[in-house]
Amino acid sequence: MKKYSLKKILNDVKKGVRKNFQASLTIIGFFIFWQIIVVFFQIPQFILPSPLDALEHLFIPQESANYSWMLHISTTLYEIALSFIVTATVGILLAIVISWSRLIKDIMMPFFIFINSLPTIAIAPIILLWMGYGIKTNILIAFLVSFFPVVINTIAGLNSVEDDLLDLVRYLHGSKLQIFIKIRIPNSLPYIFSGLKIGSTMCIVGAIVGEFIASDKGLGYIIINSQFTMNTPPIFSALIVISIAGALLYGLVTLLEKLIMPWREIQTTNQ
Amino acid sequence: MLSINKLKKTYTTRDGELEALANVSFDIFPQEFVSIVGPSGCGKTTLLKIIAGLVSKSGGNIDVDKDQFDPSREVGFVFQDSLLLHWRKVLENVLLPIEILKMNKGLYRQQALDLLDLVGLEGFENSYPNELSGGMQQRVSIARALIHDPKLVLMDEPFGALDAITRERMNLELLRIWTESKKTILFITHGINEAIFLSDRIIVLSARPSRMVNVLDINLPRPRVQEVRTSPDFGTYALEIYRSLELI
Ligand SMILES: Nc1ncnc2c1ncn2[C@@H]1O[C@H](COP(=O)(O)OP(=O)(O)OP(=O)(O)O)[C@@H](O)[C@H]1O
Ligand SMILES: [Mg+2]
Repeated sequence: MKKYSLKKILNDVKKGVRKNFQASLTIIGFFIFWQIIVVFFQIPQFILPSPLDALEHLFIPQESANYSWMLHISTTLYEIALSFIVTATVGILLAIVISWSRLIKDIMMPFFIFINSLPTIAIAPIILLWMGYGIKTNILIAFLVSFFPVVINTIAGLNSVEDDLLDLVRYLHGSKLQIFIKIRIPNSLPYIFSGLKIGSTMCIVGAIVGEFIASDKGLGYIIINSQFTMNTPPIFSALIVISIAGALLYGLVTLLEKLIMPWREIQTTNQ
Repeated sequence: MLSINKLKKTYTTRDGELEALANVSFDIFPQEFVSIVGPSGCGKTTLLKIIAGLVSKSGGNIDVDKDQFDPSREVGFVFQDSLLLHWRKVLENVLLPIEILKMNKGLYRQQALDLLDLVGLEGFENSYPNELSGGMQQRVSIARALIHDPKLVLMDEPFGALDAITRERMNLELLRIWTESKKTILFITHGINEAIFLSDRIIVLSARPSRMVNVLDINLPRPRVQEVRTSPDFGTYALEIYRSLELI
């Protein structure tokens, strides 16, 4: 039996810190390596700036750049957060609707597969044409790239139930809705979370691509803009921020997964 | 309570038709303890699932005495596999039928704890199924089948996963529940001695396609005590079952 004592929680925290500590070491090691390479081979800044150059551009106002990092970072983060929430909600609901009946599935699946097979870069200009510049456009692009893995994974989870488990509800004349709520949906949680993990990464890709094409704000905009002016360090500053955002979002999904599925913890800690 | 008449079941499989039940007829009277024994694969689970409405029949009929019980709410089913929901704690698993029948869960909490006590799982109500042994999981599923106080309990080899000692104890507990709560039990087992010890009547099925090869009334005194196992009658019943199954 598992008791949630203070000691246990402290222990968990310690474990988490140790794990993150190792990950941090790897990342810090990577940056040091990068710095050494740049300095040692005297690589010109416009080809590959050192990480210190990139951080300098991020934290110290530069003459060559008249933009506010806060504005661009917060714009991108906002787009990522919102598109992820939309992707998660719409993706999961859509999967439930699609799985509800064979007929709906047969009608809707080909359509989604068609949408998903369109390359984002190719449809982004059309969306821009329809919706104009702005955050909404980027969120829509991010959603369009990322919802499919969530839908597909959730559907797989909803359908992966052992038939025998459904008998538990059926012999008491339970409804289809009860089968979904009590069996299919909880059973699909691990699948939903693996879909969300893929979706979270795709949301970031989508948001940045959107900003490349259709924006005057955001980290994607900075990357494109700096590329025009051959000002390389801000590109890397933006990349560092994007990867941190990606890692945080992924971590958040993982944390949520642990909180929502405590029974999985037991399975994994015992292995 | 339940009257089964010339029941037939033919499964359609990829390799053609498979006749599971050829012709099965018997009655179950209220508060009776009836056991079914028969070789593996003869259609015992199929029979129980047809009674519970989980599998369609191919012929014959089942008459239910609706004055005696409500077949949509007052049936309990212990499945051959424990079929616990691994995302629910033990207590929540036991309360599943209450939720499905839309009854007040709060009112049944204590009942669920008592049932867990009864099957020897006190203190495990907050465990997850994968923290329990196979036998413990099976006992949770027994508690779950009884939580909504069903009149008819269908039990598909409920003690199959238990060791001999726990099995004996569960037999006694089951008899106690049955006597106290005036339930009707249809019990499937591979254990011939277990069937004799528990039952009022034993239905012996042949190998597939199964027919009833024997129906035995067990006239051993109740309440049953362990000593009954050594009585000459007990041995006679056992021999008769062996003979019906062509084991002698
Ligand atoms: N859904 C199904 N589709 C096709 N054939 C089935 C199906 N379920 C059972 N059968 C077949 O019907 C026969 C009877 O199966 P059943 O599960 O009722 O046997 P059983 O008497 O419960 O066996 P055991 O004692 O091993 O549990 C078997 O030959 C089995 O292969
Ligand atoms: Mg069986």
